[in-house]
Amino acid sequence: MNEQTLIGLVIAIIEFGTLLYLAALGELVAEKAGVLNLGVEGMMAFGGMAAFWAGVETGNPWIALVVAALAGTLLSGAHAVVSVVLGADQVVSGLALTILGLAMAAFLGKDLVSKPVGTQFRELDLGPLSDIPWLGETVFSMSALSWLALLLGAVTWFVFNRTSTGLALRAVGESAATADAAGLPVIRTRVVAVMIGGALAGMSGAYLTLLLAPGWSEGTTAGRGWIAVALVIFGAWRPGRVLVGSLLFGGLIALEPRLQTFGVEISPILLSMLPYVLTIGVLILLSIRSRNRPSAAPAAIGQTWRREER
Amino acid sequence: MRNLRLVRRETPLAGGQLRAVLVGVIIALLIGVVLLLATGNNPFSTYLRMLDSAFGSPRAWSNTLTRAVPLGLAGLAVAVAGSMGLWNIGAEGQIIAGAIGAAWVARLAPDLSGPLLIPLMLLGAVLGGAVLALGPALARARLGVSEIITTLMLNEVAIRIVRYLVNGPWKDPEGNNFPIAPEIPDQAKLPGLFERANIGVLIAAVVVGLFGWLVSRSAWGYELRIAGSSERTAEYVGISLRTKILTVLVMSGMFAGLAGGIELTGSASRLVEGVAGGWGFAGIIVAALALMRPSGVAAVAVAFGAVQIGGLAIQTQGVPAAISDILQALILFGALAAAVFGSYRLERGEPASATNAAIAEPGAAT
Repeated sequence: MNEQTLIGLVIAIIEFGTLLYLAALGELVAEKAGVLNLGVEGMMAFGGMAAFWAGVETGNPWIALVVAALAGTLLSGAHAVVSVVLGADQVVSGLALTILGLAMAAFLGKDLVSKPVGTQFRELDLGPLSDIPWLGETVFSMSALSWLALLLGAVTWFVFNRTSTGLALRAVGESAATADAAGLPVIRTRVVAVMIGGALAGMSGAYLTLLLAPGWSEGTTAGRGWIAVALVIFGAWRPGRVLVGSLLFGGLIALEPRLQTFGVEISPILLSMLPYVLTIGVLILLSIRSRNRPSAAPAAIGQTWRREER
Repeated sequence: MRNLRLVRRETPLAGGQLRAVLVGVIIALLIGVVLLLATGNNPFSTYLRMLDSAFGSPRAWSNTLTRAVPLGLAGLAVAVAGSMGLWNIGAEGQIIAGAIGAAWVARLAPDLSGPLLIPLMLLGAVLGGAVLALGPALARARLGVSEIITTLMLNEVAIRIVRYLVNGPWKDPEGNNFPIAPEIPDQAKLPGLFERANIGVLIAAVVVGLFGWLVSRSAWGYELRIAGSSERTAEYVGISLRTKILTVLVMSGMFAGLAGGIELTGSASRLVEGVAGGWGFAGIIVAALALMRPSGVAAVAVAFGAVQIGGLAIQTQGVPAAISDILQALILFGALAAAVFGSYRLERGEPASATNAAIAEPGAAT
């Protein structure tokens, strides 16, 4: 194990961590407003396909990123309308969104499979900072999107904890009826939260097809959207802890192809189960711990709300 | 938009769900037309071809019914849990676990005669599905851990277990290095029924019919539905919630596992990574469209089987088979939306103010 292998590992951890954090942050916003969206995997695939297409057409990664965010927002709109505005079950609607997103990406992306990469995100050159040993090759060489993800995480934390908008959003997610009685626009807040989630999942998809694994093919999301859903729980609905979880789970993914280099004789396939198993473990631990104190989950998550009822 | 709001109808529209599903189908087909035109395909010949390849001949019917088997059993799995208000999102993983269980039996006793081996393999499949559902069932019954996320996560675990098996210990040494397990012995394959259909169709029909009857007609099913509608009532009349949750979720896993067993012994004939084919997820849509009623599950499963067989058939014309997944998801979205308008109507007018809402729901504002 030499220094170069280690640096490669750290870079991979940052890359997979960014991918997961973008999507998980979006899911966090939706869940904080009380809407479970199991469509992350589909929104990620659809956004990734859209980003790759836009990259081929325009050659500009930033335009592609915006297109991906719009694609994710558009798709999440289906979940918002059906489960929030019309009040259908969030679980069914979200799962249907995953099926729809994966299928739409496969359908519309059919001719993109063989296309050469139109554009890619590159590492951000921070001048002298990039010359620092170790840090320069890893943290100070990561792409602008990783910095954007960190910034978005900080903004999310700030909005949740220090602004009235964040308070309103959390209130809607804790008790819609109380929030409504206090004059807060429950439906509008939830719709916007779901769409923010869609935009971030779409951006995560763009990160995948324009940086992490440049290109488009069916199945390129490989279950990472489900990890994002898991991360929100693993991180107890807090932006900071979700970041730590993203780096941890990203680290597990980054280790998969490197296990042999490190001389570990475990199948990388078995290692790839860990994020899911750990999340189940955390859920069980949380439930044992929360017997005596309130749960970390937004209280109204998964509950449909209509004004005439309750 | 601002002046529109949903108001509950005094009497819900008659024929609610059937109408909702039909509206869903129409919406899905219309959006499908747009997608097909946008990608340069003729929508009408595409739909006709789909219909013909799903129902146009005995052979077409046999394909459709064969595909309806895993959809129906997965749908039943979701519906049985759903009739008690529980979500089994793990049917996809349980189908895989079932296929693994069946394949394991065939590995252990490859020389048994067919009439003995096949039932044992199906038993292995049922147990496989039950094992994967047991954890979430215990966690929900004992600790109150939401079964939605645990069953969902186990899908991904099951996919990786089968990937591990067919890439490692169970890999076919004569498989040209493909990630596949060896073919099951000939006598382990389900006997044929007609054309390409095997007796798996009959097994699934009997299971769906029997448990549909149990849920909707028996005392056991009645208790289930009471427990689903109100935990307090259930406890008051002496129904043990814990036992019910445990039984129902494990049973749900068994149905999905059986689907995996029938798939392995009937169609796949060897374990591969894609053995569940997305049918566990499609089963959730099937159950939702059937309003968690096992009687409706069979009909929706056949319809979705047709959509999927039709989707495969048009691939030869260069239309991606993903169109069938798109149609299925859109049918659900359309039906969910339409169902709301069965019991609510749009009304124009000033939105009720927060004060009115508080009067309408005493206690909410305190």
